[in-house]
Amino acid sequence: MKQFEYYKPLSLGEAWELKKKIPGSLFIAGGTDMLVGIKNNEIHPPALLSLRSIPGLNSIETNEVTRIGALATISDIIRNPELKEDFPVLVEAAKNLGSMQIRNVATIGGNLCNGSPCADMALPLLVMEAKVRLQTANDKRELPIDEFFKGPGKSCLASHEILTDILLDPPSKNTKAVFMKKGRVKMDLAVASVAVRLDMEGSKCLKARIAAGSVAPVPLRLSKVEAVLEGEALTQKHASEAQRLAKDNVIPITDIRSTEEYRRQITGVLVKRAIERALEWSQA
Amino acid sequence: MKTEISFILNGSEVQVSVHSHHRLIDVLRKQLGQTGTKEGCGEGECGACTVIIDGRAVNSCLYPAFEVEGKSVTTIEGLQGPKNELSVIQQSFVEQGAIQCGFCTPGMILSAKALIDSNSDPSEEDIRDALLGNLCRCTGYVQIVEAVKKAAAQLKRKK
Amino acid sequence: MTDFHHIGKKASRPDSSDKAAGKAHYIHDLQRPGMLYGKIKFSGHPHARIKHIDTSKAERLTGVRAVITANNTPEIRIGFLRDNFALKKDKVRQYRDEVAAVAAIDPEIAKEAVELIQVEYEPLSGVFNPHEAMKKGSPLIHETDAQGRPRTDNLVPLKFHHESGDLEAGKRAAKYSVEGEFSTPMVQQCCMGTAGCIAEFDMNNNLTMWAKTQIPFLAQRDFNRALSDMGLHGKNTRVIVPTLGGGFGSGLDTHAYEYITILLAFQTGCPVKIVYTRDEEFANLSPRQSSTTKIIQGCDRNGKLTFREVDVLQDNGAYTSWGATYPSVMMMPATSLYRVSNVYFNARLVYTNNTYCQAMRGYGNPEHTWALESNMDELAYEAGIDRFEFRMLNRNEPDEITPMGLKVSTCGLKECLETVARKLDWGKKRTKDKRTGKGMASLIHVGGGARIYRSDASGLILKMDDYGNVNVYHGGVEMGQGLHSVLSLAVAEALGVRPEKVIINPTDTGTCPWDVGTHASRGAFMACNTAILAANKLRSQIFELAEELYPEEAEKNLKKYMKKNPGYKPPDFDVPKASKCERFELRDGFVFIKDGPQEPWLRIELGRLLRAIHFRSQGQMLTTEVFYDPPNELPDFERGFGNISSTYAYGAQGAEVEVDTETGEVKILRMVAAHDVGRVLDPQGLKGQIYGALAQGVGYALYEKLESKQGKILNPNFRDYKIPTVREMNFPIDLEFIETNDSYGPFGAKGVAEPGLVPTAPAIANAIYDAVGVRIRDLPITPEKILAALKQRRR
Repeated sequence: MKQFEYYKPLSLGEAWELKKKIPGSLFIAGGTDMLVGIKNNEIHPPALLSLRSIPGLNSIETNEVTRIGALATISDIIRNPELKEDFPVLVEAAKNLGSMQIRNVATIGGNLCNGSPCADMALPLLVMEAKVRLQTANDKRELPIDEFFKGPGKSCLASHEILTDILLDPPSKNTKAVFMKKGRVKMDLAVASVAVRLDMEGSKCLKARIAAGSVAPVPLRLSKVEAVLEGEALTQKHASEAQRLAKDNVIPITDIRSTEEYRRQITGVLVKRAIERALEWSQA
Repeated sequence: MKTEISFILNGSEVQVSVHSHHRLIDVLRKQLGQTGTKEGCGEGECGACTVIIDGRAVNSCLYPAFEVEGKSVTTIEGLQGPKNELSVIQQSFVEQGAIQCGFCTPGMILSAKALIDSNSDPSEEDIRDALLGNLCRCTGYVQIVEAVKKAAAQLKRKK
Repeated sequence: MTDFHHIGKKASRPDSSDKAAGKAHYIHDLQRPGMLYGKIKFSGHPHARIKHIDTSKAERLTGVRAVITANNTPEIRIGFLRDNFALKKDKVRQYRDEVAAVAAIDPEIAKEAVELIQVEYEPLSGVFNPHEAMKKGSPLIHETDAQGRPRTDNLVPLKFHHESGDLEAGKRAAKYSVEGEFSTPMVQQCCMGTAGCIAEFDMNNNLTMWAKTQIPFLAQRDFNRALSDMGLHGKNTRVIVPTLGGGFGSGLDTHAYEYITILLAFQTGCPVKIVYTRDEEFANLSPRQSSTTKIIQGCDRNGKLTFREVDVLQDNGAYTSWGATYPSVMMMPATSLYRVSNVYFNARLVYTNNTYCQAMRGYGNPEHTWALESNMDELAYEAGIDRFEFRMLNRNEPDEITPMGLKVSTCGLKECLETVARKLDWGKKRTKDKRTGKGMASLIHVGGGARIYRSDASGLILKMDDYGNVNVYHGGVEMGQGLHSVLSLAVAEALGVRPEKVIINPTDTGTCPWDVGTHASRGAFMACNTAILAANKLRSQIFELAEELYPEEAEKNLKKYMKKNPGYKPPDFDVPKASKCERFELRDGFVFIKDGPQEPWLRIELGRLLRAIHFRSQGQMLTTEVFYDPPNELPDFERGFGNISSTYAYGAQGAEVEVDTETGEVKILRMVAAHDVGRVLDPQGLKGQIYGALAQGVGYALYEKLESKQGKILNPNFRDYKIPTVREMNFPIDLEFIETNDSYGPFGAKGVAEPGLVPTAPAIANAIYDAVGVRIRDLPITPEKILAALKQRRR
């Protein structure tokens, strides 16, 4: 078993101090990804700095802006009635993450900071244009989540930075967003996943945001696909065109889970179906 | 790095000195001799190590020992009644033929308990969702789902 | 229809409550005083010469008690071809070869020590494909055989061949024929409880092994041989089988890790435990062997099969275990599933540097039925005959002798096929626009033992005590399949006691009679047949002794009864005269006279009678023993002939699926299954066996594959080796048992542990073809393959 020290700072300040004091130490939230990485020799931190005991990091508030604490567990997100009302696409993605046991411990912040292109929580946040708040001892910044992911396993987090909050603007009444995921079996890392958000006025699409997971080095906004939908009176033809474009605008790989060819196909299909579902929903 | 932690295990307070890199499953099985919780994969995929912490089902193979401080943990050993009688859920598993080799059983029962404790009238879909993270190689799950349904119904009637 | 008291009724499994309470103790939970923990160093090279092993750093690590390699331990050859070694000396032939091992005071130290062992290798060219391995000039995996004779190629020296009738004539008589090549991957048993053992020597150098084994007595033989190799001549191994976390064939051979544990225990003088972690299990425990099958079948214009030609090639991996003998079982469906008189079967196995494979549930039958039943559908389409009618036309019937010489006694295939067709609404017209389809497949499997060794026997001891308890000693292995449950029912039924009074003792070579092993679906068949024989013997003994002692006990009872019921007048009945063997009965633990008056004082509790037998002068305790070898034959696999089992289980399964033509995903809407079980002994247990096997069949059909590259397993974890979860099994399974009441089977029952997974994959594949017209011939049928096939078809 890999040995490491484990600290439970009671404040962000204490967390930053420990980080400074122990080179190579890593911040940990739920740990469901990180502990597996340590077990499999992918990372070798001498110490883990748990953020779980820091008050306020796991709360969810809905005021002007919705603030989701980074340490909110995936289960917390599913159980939150305001999130279900305002951001059902986020709740939908949360329900598709892992198993009940994993969801009770895994956090939204952890899922993002793990930086996987498969990150289930990334796609709804991308299409809902979330911002992330990153803090160090001396600095605080907010970025659009599009800028957060840098590569497989890599985010733009500086080594002493902690992702503390995810911020969402209130959704408009005509926003409909859908999340779809395809795995090999039901509990699985995504072979491909998509989130589609359409802000509709009648049949006219005011705004389209589309994101795909597991088909690029990062969770990817498909801006070219968004462009063919925005401003248009949407029909089935648009959904099919979006399918075709989505296929051509992702860069999947072949790995143990699936092939490049299949992932491309599936992304197209999921985009088309998500658009169809969002349209259905907005017309209902 | 070691520290003393204290937590509630199956209703009783325990105090134990644990290593920083140990997991709750190590504390339970090796230090406290509670071998009912099984390690099936060590990576949170199979659910054989499922325990309940503060009412929520978790994989004890991924739960750092240090994080258990002050929490309330329920393992399979905590389900029996005062006269060593099986709980309703356990009895239902026995009666429905939901147990073959039995290795997945403790974890499966605890996932079922976590579900029923928070949802007294689970649908079949709720049950399958709750058990998604518990793998079984022997039963094909049919009698397990039946057992959980019947247990939930029985517990509801009791209330 | 016989009226049984316990057979066929709902039963409580004796082991369930402990398992539900977390109180069953698996190998993972067992401790011995002073126990050390072992860890193995695996080679990490698929083919290489071992140049040097440096264990010095490992030896110096605090807490390490022994470090062993082939250099400081006696050579132990293992495997039935003796081509494997406990620890590898000069050469490694597979990525997972065991090169060294450590025993330490805790597993973490042992693991750290293993990492400190440095091995220098000279990599050799590896070969990972049986076709490549068969080519001239291919690197030799084994330069010599076990006797030291030089080898010239990589072919495994096992011959599996069958020819019957006249193949050419059969081909000429065929109006339609279809050829196909089918393949199956390596899949893993995935027992939830991983492999492991504890070895402990006493001061006389006798060994006790707590082993995760399905063959305690053959393991004892193997371990005794190893003791001899270690210089411990004449020493004995006692094999104890604890609660097992599954088996599925993984315990059907002895493994290098077990011998390594023994070597470590001997070296340290302490008990040593080795248990595999999940990733060790995936990477280092032999899986199911892969296969490729070429099959051609033909039929005449009426649809009668006229010939079947089969050629099998298997990747044997680096060493030989029971995976190599799958063709012996493949021969069974090849020659005997459906009636066909002109059969050719041949199988070849080739050594490669891939992982070697062992037994897994079905043992070649799922592989072959996959090919055969897919091809049957293809032939039916070719001939323009309905797929159900085609099977009915060619079905086996009771009292047949098949080309392989299988003596089919009862055969419920007709009823099974009809049931499946009926449940699937086979004749119902379907709407064309829905991508749904139906398919079916049937099976034949051994149902009455399987003689693959010179003995297919099993013994059983019934030991009575003073309380009417029946202590049962039987060498069969309970691995979750419910063996102890059916055995309790069988003893209770045959002897005449309540099942709660039947105590099944742990499987232990020290106390139980010999049994060849729990495999080939023979567990319940053998246990219950021996139980019946032993119970009948015991009943005779009891009734004989009762002739003398029953009247006395009845008299005592009457006195007591009359005291409690003053004024009671007993009927005019001469008890001593009626006390004859043939007039006694034992039922529910009471001895009474069959045709006598129904007075309660005439019912003597068995325990009471046993105490009377025990405590009189020159008293005795009753213990009975039987040893039963079923009337089957060890076939000649080179000729492909012999009645391997005493009876055969038939069955059929059907699937209705929906295929998403955009994603290639297959949704199973429902499955139906009809199995010829002879007689249902334990209804709930039997259902559980079929459901569980069917789920494994679904995994085989749609999800499971061990990915191997250059001999290395790429997905040694549940993250990337996906077995069905409760969500994948979210479809109704309509299961029916056909009772054909076989005379060879206990109470008419046949063994049914494996059939549940044999026809599943072809039934699903046949349904997929019916739905969308694509035929996938290599398992698993993934969405990727379906989409690619649909694309191909559109071109």
